[in-house]
Amino acid sequence: MDALTRIETELRSRLGPAVQGLSSPQPGRLFVDVERRALRPAAKALIDLGARYMVGIGWDEIARNGTIGLAHTFAFDADHVAVVLRAAAPAGDPSFESITPDIPSAGWSEREYQDLLGLTFTGHPKPKRLVLADDWPAGVYPLRKEVPYNLEPPAAEDVAYRLDEAPPGTTVVPIGPFHLSLHEPEHFAVYVDGETIKGCDYRGFMTHRGIEKLCQTQVSYNEVPFVAERICGICGSVHACCYSQAVEAAAGLKISRRAEYIRTIMLEIERLHSHLLWLGIAGHLIGFDTVFMQAWRVREKVMWLAERITGNRKTYGMIVIGGVRRDITPEIRAGIEDVLAALEKEVLELKRAIIGDSAIHRRTKGVGYLSKEEAVRWSLVGPVARARGLRLDVRKDHPYAAYDDMAFDVPVADSGDVWGTLVVRVLEIFESISILRQALAGMPAGPLLIEAPEALPPLRHGLSMVEAPRGESVHYVITGEENRPERWRVRAPTYPNLQAVPQMLLDNQFADFPIILGQIDPCFSCTDRVAVIDAGSGRRRILGRTELEALSRGPEAGRSRS
Amino acid sequence: MSIAAVFVNVLVFLLLAPLFDGVLRKTTARVQTRQGPPIVQPYYDLFKLLGKERINSARNWAFKLAPPAAFASILAVVALIPFGGKVNALGGRVDAVTVIYLLTLGGVSVLLGALASRNTFAAIGASREMVTMVMIEPILAMTLILGAARSRSLGLGAAVFGAAGPGYGAAAAVMLVVYLLALQAFVAKQPFDIAEAEIEVLEGPFIEYSGPDYGLFRYAMMMKQMFYAWLFVAVFLPFLRTGHYLGDILTQLLGTLAVFILIAVVGSTNPRLRIDQAVKIYAVLILIALGAVGLAVAGV
Repeated sequence: MDALTRIETELRSRLGPAVQGLSSPQPGRLFVDVERRALRPAAKALIDLGARYMVGIGWDEIARNGTIGLAHTFAFDADHVAVVLRAAAPAGDPSFESITPDIPSAGWSEREYQDLLGLTFTGHPKPKRLVLADDWPAGVYPLRKEVPYNLEPPAAEDVAYRLDEAPPGTTVVPIGPFHLSLHEPEHFAVYVDGETIKGCDYRGFMTHRGIEKLCQTQVSYNEVPFVAERICGICGSVHACCYSQAVEAAAGLKISRRAEYIRTIMLEIERLHSHLLWLGIAGHLIGFDTVFMQAWRVREKVMWLAERITGNRKTYGMIVIGGVRRDITPEIRAGIEDVLAALEKEVLELKRAIIGDSAIHRRTKGVGYLSKEEAVRWSLVGPVARARGLRLDVRKDHPYAAYDDMAFDVPVADSGDVWGTLVVRVLEIFESISILRQALAGMPAGPLLIEAPEALPPLRHGLSMVEAPRGESVHYVITGEENRPERWRVRAPTYPNLQAVPQMLLDNQFADFPIILGQIDPCFSCTDRVAVIDAGSGRRRILGRTELEALSRGPEAGRSRS
Repeated sequence: MSIAAVFVNVLVFLLLAPLFDGVLRKTTARVQTRQGPPIVQPYYDLFKLLGKERINSARNWAFKLAPPAAFASILAVVALIPFGGKVNALGGRVDAVTVIYLLTLGGVSVLLGALASRNTFAAIGASREMVTMVMIEPILAMTLILGAARSRSLGLGAAVFGAAGPGYGAAAAVMLVVYLLALQAFVAKQPFDIAEAEIEVLEGPFIEYSGPDYGLFRYAMMMKQMFYAWLFVAVFLPFLRTGHYLGDILTQLLGTLAVFILIAVVGSTNPRLRIDQAVKIYAVLILIALGAVGLAVAGV
């Protein structure tokens, strides 16, 4: 019995007629429509079958049929199957039974739609605001279609986020909204007893940009990949690729093999860059700036390489619906191979220096520990999960692009701590180099771009996953009638991983806070700018390409290219 | 001559401490394949800080008092020391215990400022600083007591030059190793820059300080670094002594420079430890230092 049949049989036997529809429009995807009251038992049934919770998606269908839709997505990684559990609630009574008591990592998804769509979840253990600002007025739900994308409502008064109650005998250390170990604004209230962490409350989403709403109302299908790429300054290609795949899946579009190979190459270059970046930051977070500087010196090579291929150091602008925008020519291929050889040597040296350094062991081993069972319970993804003994990797479990042609290993550690995430990431760098070599060698000829049909069929659902350097990214697209997605849901890997951070912090030392948070390689909003403010005149200037380039390559490079 | 030597001490330390800090930063940058700031950058930093508006953000006298107190204590220390191989006019009237007291006073001033600033991070930094002081001062004390025990005198000259002269005993050799291991803690550099740990507690005790007050703290820290580097040279490198006052000043400064380069290399090739880990290391160092003093008393 194959996995789809097994899941279908189990759901039907547990829920009976509450299962209203069941379809598998694409291989490896199962869409199940259930009655609203059956959503929680159905979710529970899937978890009991061994599913991993991915994310919830809510959408407004009030104008069409008076309901608000809600879907929960699950992955059966070993079976290469993803299941979408859909239900709807009437707009007059938009409530669901919360699934968070069974699945803790669904907590944020439910809170998000409580904020953005006005859904309510009975039995939610922590129904606080998640996404909306504290002074956003009650009763205005930004993702509802009646709310314009640029609405600026009058601020609510006398409102403030109420932190969780501190455990007795602890004091609160405020990490954020601005703190050196965070790179973007967010607030962790850390409850400490002496230097021991006894709890933590998180208030984030301070720079929520409303990208989903923007793309559902203002731009067209083909423009979204470029916006998607700007979701994250580090995993841009991941988001462009994941979105494009979701649209391609919904529309039934098959792209050329060559384009899939080029996507693979871009994604792996991105991973190389990201892991070296992380390695540097991890060094900085434990007070080891030499690791920081050396890792970033090596990383610079990857950025130059990306620039040769795409014209950009980051935010490559390569991946679009239907394929890619630029080819990899034989000359560029030779260039990539040279850089890979140099890189491999440097990273080997870094690895030797880091893996054998007992001082680094002291700061990472046993720190931020989470057991394998807890990692499953919190639906962790990426290196954070793999450091807890879970062999999860979308590239293997739900192959996309050209990964089904690639031979590579998925490094796993079972130490369950920061050290494990470090080892996993360092080893993955070598796997990425190997994948890149294979992709360059095996790349078939073919067109770069397949033209999408003039009008994509509306109201089709597409789900796509991509293994970002930080873990699995999930995009969900419902095709629309106006040449843009009716609904586009993005879930970056930080979303599930961050939810488990309070658990990882528990009973650790306060000095380890930066690296425990750092081990998930958090990505909150990626909206950093370098702004220079003249103290005298108050004039504000944002540094542009030329100045940033001069800073990274010396003044001549900046000048000669301007 | 002897009175003039006091002024020479103070002047040399005031003038050169920022330069050594610059060497430290430049060397660190080189290890990290960075260009690094110019060697004279600490002078620019100090000028800039000292020229700024003074802000008493904690609005109490203790907060204002702490930086000048820290600066004054270290200034008093360097005025007393037998720099250039000779005990000067002031140093002859005090003993080793005075120097230890004055150094402790500098540390206490930092604690005073930290606690007066009523900031959570300063409080964490202060508690770490306090633990560090309690664990690390005994090593300094024992270094001086070792010399005092060998030369049967608590006088400054005896305490500083007694450890390794005449004759380099096993006790001095053991203490030399202990001192080197504790050096990073004396100068608050990795792996022992725990109290200030910028990424964790945002410079800890100094978080509320800015402008001239912060400048004085920085200046005091630079002088303290230079003092500990010099002390190593004076105590453990007797062969650098030429017998001439000016010649000794020169060789001691060169030795100090070498110690700073060592500090930079060790600092940039180690991550920061946690305070609980550091305390265990300090405890072992104290025990070994005690053993070294025991050896000296036994006449080995």
